[in-house]
Amino acid sequence: MKDFFKGSSLKVLIIAVVVLLGLVIYTATAGGSIVAGLLGFVSAPMQSIATDVTGNVTEFFDLESYSKEELKELVDRLQQERSALAQQLVDYEEKKRENEQLKQQLEIAQLEPENEMRSASVIGRDPNDVFSGFSIDKGSLAGVSVGDPVITNQGLVGVVSQVYATSSMVTCLLSEDLQVAAVSIDREESGVVTSNIMTASSGLLRLNYLSSETQLEAGDIITTSGAGGSFPPNIIIGEVQSVEKSEYDISKYAVVKPYEDLAHVQDVQVIVSFPGKGEEAPVLPTDEEDPTKEDAE
Amino acid sequence: MRDFNCVIRYLAYTLELLVLFMLQETPGLLPHVYGVRPVLLFPAVVAIALFEEELPAMAFGIVGGLFCDFGLGGALGFHGAILAVLCFLISLQSRSIMQVNLATALLTGLWSIALTICAQWFFLYYFTYSMPEYAFTHHYVPKYFYTLLFLPLLYFLNRGLYQAVRAQDR
Repeated sequence: MKDFFKGSSLKVLIIAVVVLLGLVIYTATAGGSIVAGLLGFVSAPMQSIATDVTGNVTEFFDLESYSKEELKELVDRLQQERSALAQQLVDYEEKKRENEQLKQQLEIAQLEPENEMRSASVIGRDPNDVFSGFSIDKGSLAGVSVGDPVITNQGLVGVVSQVYATSSMVTCLLSEDLQVAAVSIDREESGVVTSNIMTASSGLLRLNYLSSETQLEAGDIITTSGAGGSFPPNIIIGEVQSVEKSEYDISKYAVVKPYEDLAHVQDVQVIVSFPGKGEEAPVLPTDEEDPTKEDAE
Repeated sequence: MRDFNCVIRYLAYTLELLVLFMLQETPGLLPHVYGVRPVLLFPAVVAIALFEEELPAMAFGIVGGLFCDFGLGGALGFHGAILAVLCFLISLQSRSIMQVNLATALLTGLWSIALTICAQWFFLYYFTYSMPEYAFTHHYVPKYFYTLLFLPLLYFLNRGLYQAVRAQDR
């Protein structure tokens, strides 16, 4: 043990830890690094392939309704057809996915023709992310930038938080880091949609800062208000499930259930440009208004 | 020949960490249990450190840690620094204090993965978000136990790898 303290191994360990701590400080302040970009460039295609393979395998095992004989027959038939259809099968999944994405994009584009969008697939979900953040297969080469809203045809799902060349990280709407100016079109009442670990684990959101006389009811639809210029207006967020009294003051908050299953979303659209983008300062609640949340969007 | 076997083994470890990173990141592959998924890289670097000398153990701790940092999308180096120190200590422990077998591997995994996950909670969650106690009991503790389940598997995998390449060395 004495040799250990005199040896060079300990010195190397200390140097490595100091370098890594320097990297932590650098990436925390600069918001990115060459190492992260390189890792993203290398891992994005592999993650994309792994996700596709998993999707195919899951689909294959989802055959509970078939009997054993039917499955055997199906396998035999597929084996016979395999050689003839080999090339088509290679392309099939890719075309199918592309078709889904384009259909989704068309639906959304018809609703909001002024928004410029990019189709993307979810290629990674980190188990260390408490708030269901995910990575997508489009990056700066596709025109994606930090702060771009991410949606599906069911509504808002998150915002791009980091961009690499061929992939991006998305902060999920369930994250406590994200605050979205929202409004109920029916009642013309506005608030800020956010979340915390408790609501996030149930897949729910909170619409904060409602007055004590709020008219909101279960079933009311909540959309983005567009205030702050971070999100386009009228993107659906979810519907009110209940209205509760705030734990901290006389205001109320609404529990909002998103239409999209935010923890399992697969195909998304990134809004890379929309009218009014970044025109106003983002909505930032003060500490006095919300003691539970300090981080701005 | 010895150097060549070392290189082969280190390449295999790197490939193993890369594959495990892909597996843990792939959506829908590993099932959610209590809303969490396991971090395969933690038991992998612990298992590698049990068999390797201090500096290679530390290096693979850094590699595994950087993968974790990249996957999380936060500041690079946090997991790298923690796993570097832990793997260094695990290697030192396995060479000077205890024999390496499944029981000691499990014991080592128990404390080292617990420390890593507690550090995650303390540095990445506690000061930043609300309800840290809820997060600890509903996210970090289930993740810890789920992750531990993979330790025996990765222990045997890395033991086999180490013995196979080392045997040729003799």
